[in-house]
Amino acid sequence: MLSGENIVKSVSDLLHQLYAMVGLSAFKGVLDPIVAAHVMFGFISVFVMFLVWMERKVSAHMQSRIGPNRVGIFGLLQTVADAIKLTIKEDIKPVHRDKIPYYIAPIIAFVATFAGMVVIPFDKGMVVQDLNIGLLYIIAITSFTVIAILSAGWSSNNKFALLGGFRSAAQIVSYEVPLVLSLVPVIMMTGTLRLGGIVEYQSQNHWFVLYQFIAFFIFITSATAEANRAPFDIPEAESELIGGFHTEYSGVKFAMFFLGEYIAVIVSSAVAVTVFLGGWLPPFAFLAFVPGFIWFMIKLLLVIYLVMAFRWTFPRLRVDQLMDFGWKVLIPVAILNILVTGFCVLFFGKGV
Amino acid sequence: MGAVGHYFSSIVMGFWNLVIGLSVTTKYFLRMKTNTQQYPEERLPLPERSRSMIKLIYDGEKDQFNCVACMMCAKACPNSCIKLEGVRQPDGKRRVTTFKLDFSTCIFCGYCVEACGFDALTFVSEEYENSVYQRGSLLQDEQAMKWVRPAHLTPKTEEPAKVAAPAGATAGA
Repeated sequence: MLSGENIVKSVSDLLHQLYAMVGLSAFKGVLDPIVAAHVMFGFISVFVMFLVWMERKVSAHMQSRIGPNRVGIFGLLQTVADAIKLTIKEDIKPVHRDKIPYYIAPIIAFVATFAGMVVIPFDKGMVVQDLNIGLLYIIAITSFTVIAILSAGWSSNNKFALLGGFRSAAQIVSYEVPLVLSLVPVIMMTGTLRLGGIVEYQSQNHWFVLYQFIAFFIFITSATAEANRAPFDIPEAESELIGGFHTEYSGVKFAMFFLGEYIAVIVSSAVAVTVFLGGWLPPFAFLAFVPGFIWFMIKLLLVIYLVMAFRWTFPRLRVDQLMDFGWKVLIPVAILNILVTGFCVLFFGKGV
Repeated sequence: MGAVGHYFSSIVMGFWNLVIGLSVTTKYFLRMKTNTQQYPEERLPLPERSRSMIKLIYDGEKDQFNCVACMMCAKACPNSCIKLEGVRQPDGKRRVTTFKLDFSTCIFCGYCVEACGFDALTFVSEEYENSVYQRGSLLQDEQAMKWVRPAHLTPKTEEPAKVAAPAGATAGA
């Protein structure tokens, strides 16, 4: 039967035979993660290209336009062409830049979000490493983007870039709080931080979106803000700050920031799918013959569509409105949600 | 209690408003209807009275231009881009022999068309791709501007007295 676990097993068996043929069986523990990272990178690059195309198509059809339709069928190769253009572009650097942070910032922006993909379970057993602190790990590692954005803003030696970096720092620090608080009720109910464990809990009960829909909406909102996407895109507000923190970046470095933003969307949507929408589980039991990773991808695309619809529907928030919304609405509601869930767990037992 | 109730009701109302906005965009997204014209493949039919190009009306029945070289258009032209000559024909009517309009200086103001009293100059809607590769190509003569009026575009004269006159006959009047 085609399932994620079997695919991973057969591929890793094949790999181990390959190691044995070359005589590298002793380095299995080192080589396996490297191969996994490359597979993940390939998947992510192609998926990000698809998402950029999808975003342009979604926005186009929302505005009664056509969108990219020239390069390839349905314009599918448009993003490939854009990526090639970005890589061969001249790398323009400001003269008075702060050299080391300027170079490191795009790398951190990419790596910090990409590292979050490690614990995402695409199917039962189809995961790079199902850490027992997976949720905490994702929250911690994706917060590194704020360092990248702040150092990009600082090192560009440009007032708009610096303003964008400061705004971004304020925003990410503010929205990290409701993001974590919205995940706490789930952890209270499941008693585990392992993403695979959370999905297994949902396979015995219902999906968490039924119990914790408030937490789901808080999570999606704060994740959108974390990824610096509209309507929370004030760090790169084009109409106010040119490009924000990536004003002075061009070519491959800009592509890294762009990639990082989309990977952040993928990671947070994947966490939302895993934690609230049942991960690889089919919506109904009789649909179990469809492999789990296909269900995961369908749910992932639906959540990403939701995030894209946010971007093309809602107007951008002002800085003070953004802070108001984060501190006066999301955090109190999230804390109330924790309180209510706590009482429920206390009085009705773990299963609600 | 009122403040707390207001707080929660404002959150719920705000959420509901966002849902309405999302439903509108999703409706448009699922409708998949586009209003874009893919220009080189699809061409927009312009309104009949759009000022795309100036043409010299040629009367196919009489095998002659309607223009009688009265010079009113050349005088009306603010940029002096119309040059024309005419000679008196054996039947006593003047007819245009050369008509040159330099479209590199023409601003399509339409004064020449308005000034023309013989239904000889007109704007056409169908020819709107007027860019050329050499500047000299913009200087058009009477052969380039020759245009036979199709039947469905019979002149809609504004003066009631001229309504009775058939199309093309006005030129000889």
